[in-house]
Amino acid sequence: MRHGIQFPYDPEISHEKMRIGIFLVLGLLLVCFFCLDIFLGSVSIKPSVVFRALFGDADSNVQMIITKFRIPKAITAMLVGIALSLSGLQMQTLFRNPMAGPYVLGVSSGAGLGVALVVLGFSTGLGADNFRSFGNWILVISAWIGAGAVTVLIMFISSRVRDIMTVLIIGIMLASGISAIISILQYFSNETMLKTYVLWTMGSLGNLSAGQLNVLIISVLTGILLSIISIKMLNAFLIGESYARSIGLNIKLSRAVIFSCTSILAGSVTAFCGPIGFIGIAVPHIARNLFKTSDHRILVPGTVVIGAAVMLASDIVSQLPGSETILPVNSITSLIGIPVVIWVILRNKKDQSIF
Amino acid sequence: MENSGEILQLESLKIGYASGNYSGTILPALSASVYRGELVAVIGRNGIGKSTLLRTIMNLQPSLGGKVMISGENSAEFTGLKLAQKIGYISTEIVKISHMRVYDLVALGRFPYTNWIGRIDHNAHVIIMEAIIKAGLAHFENRFVSELSDGERQRAMIARVLAQDTDIMIMDEPTAFLDISGKFGIMNLMRQLTASGRTILFSTNDFTIALNRADKIWLMQEDGMTEGAPEDLLMVKAFDHLFDQAVVGFDPEDGSFIFRTELRGEIFIEGESDLRHWTVKALARAGFSVTNVKTIPYIQLPSGNKEWVLFAGGTSQSFRSLYDLVSRLKKII
Repeated sequence: MRHGIQFPYDPEISHEKMRIGIFLVLGLLLVCFFCLDIFLGSVSIKPSVVFRALFGDADSNVQMIITKFRIPKAITAMLVGIALSLSGLQMQTLFRNPMAGPYVLGVSSGAGLGVALVVLGFSTGLGADNFRSFGNWILVISAWIGAGAVTVLIMFISSRVRDIMTVLIIGIMLASGISAIISILQYFSNETMLKTYVLWTMGSLGNLSAGQLNVLIISVLTGILLSIISIKMLNAFLIGESYARSIGLNIKLSRAVIFSCTSILAGSVTAFCGPIGFIGIAVPHIARNLFKTSDHRILVPGTVVIGAAVMLASDIVSQLPGSETILPVNSITSLIGIPVVIWVILRNKKDQSIF
Repeated sequence: MENSGEILQLESLKIGYASGNYSGTILPALSASVYRGELVAVIGRNGIGKSTLLRTIMNLQPSLGGKVMISGENSAEFTGLKLAQKIGYISTEIVKISHMRVYDLVALGRFPYTNWIGRIDHNAHVIIMEAIIKAGLAHFENRFVSELSDGERQRAMIARVLAQDTDIMIMDEPTAFLDISGKFGIMNLMRQLTASGRTILFSTNDFTIALNRADKIWLMQEDGMTEGAPEDLLMVKAFDHLFDQAVVGFDPEDGSFIFRTELRGEIFIEGESDLRHWTVKALARAGFSVTNVKTIPYIQLPSGNKEWVLFAGGTSQSFRSLYDLVSRLKKII
């Protein structure tokens, strides 16, 4: 059977057609989810009223809910989905580990530590100063540094320990260690700062100020740009570092670009929305299986679209449409992501291949 | 093909691992050369540093002294990209990534030539498809690499290096994971590639392949590198140090191994037929050497009756197979 399969003359063309089709469907889905996310919420507003609110033709309360809350939240959801999924894709390729992702490897925790050091660390000196007065950029940059430090550490461990599961366990240990450090910081910080920090850890998509959303937009756009720049490097990393070098890849430069990119993406999201799990692992796998390719020229845009759509869907579900309760979005992403992760582990055991 | 000079040359190259306070070279400085279009086998016992040598030539690990000259230029001065346009490399590392198609893997060979995003234009597409066909994988371009057999995957790796369009290919144990037909398939392919002007340097633990197929051998031993045609090395008995002489010997006739067995006795074989060769072999394995003086017992090769006859004193016994004959001989001698 091995040699029996014949392909059409130029199969690239049919692939391309199929891929365009998948992108169209995903794009449509994304638009639908975005609209649904705006139309649905804990306060039920008729679609017609939502439409009018969009064009500034509704009463001020509804107007307020739509433009100051729901639209920014939907945009945040998209940015978060894009950022986490892209950083997951890059980490999986760079570490050649299908289980890699910002959450499980402790990169989000590292970002959290960065935030904690700023919020709690400065508290002793600055007294009851307001959290927001630190400035969103200081917050987000400290998250980048924290995320970057953990990424470099994981890279170092990955280069010594080849076993995928061992690296994963070490990542979980790192995350636990970091949360222990944060607990100690909390112990020494004053009440006001502690409260600000605890509120932050609960994280959500809807708590961003306009200023924070701007910082997040700029950061994620930078991350997307760096991801596009790193497409060729990621394709080379697929076949392993030695081969990548042998075809002329500058390993140090590429690593620096990709590390900065994942740190910016995972760090910014964690800084403003708190830790959100499993999207980073799951979405790249969905993209690979949907497009049946390992080529990052397709996976990067694919991950962007799927990541945004999945996060919007998670947000819609977390609002429990029709009820006034809102679930933490983190629990929804876990419920979506964990089955994918288990499936990948089982498949990995079976055919011993990476991804 | 434009010049036939040394395409690859080691000048007092020192290889090994330098880490922390320990910096040790495994071997004395190595000097050797390869000419364009040659198939050169690097052999030596396990752990002598064959892979280390190949990795050092590839600049994947730093040399501890000396130079690697490529077409007369010091490769230490090359950028990674320039080196990638001169030498292609296949290690023992298995690339097993699901969702990666043969085409995508081979396309990575174009890495040193494509633009910032790795766009495959028409020209590159033609080179990739030609490489796939040359490597014997026609119609395989859309197969997933993870679903290939070991031999097919090795061909895909070779296709990738072909697409890289380098003069020199370096392969670390290219036949290590392959079954017999896979081994010979890959060796034949390597031979074809050198015939079309490429130069291949490969390491192997398979002496039979190295001695029969290579134009030149680089023999790595504790006291340094010896290079030459397989026959040159055979004549100076260069391989004799490689083996435990008591257990295994070397048949200079065809470059195969002989396992030495304890000698049980000598025996005479009567008759001349093409079965003599196999009979001698089977007897040798059981520990009997063949003599020209008539012995008791002695063996008569099958003629019309297709049976071996064993004459012992006045009696004779017939055997339908060599196996039966040798079993009987073991009992009586």
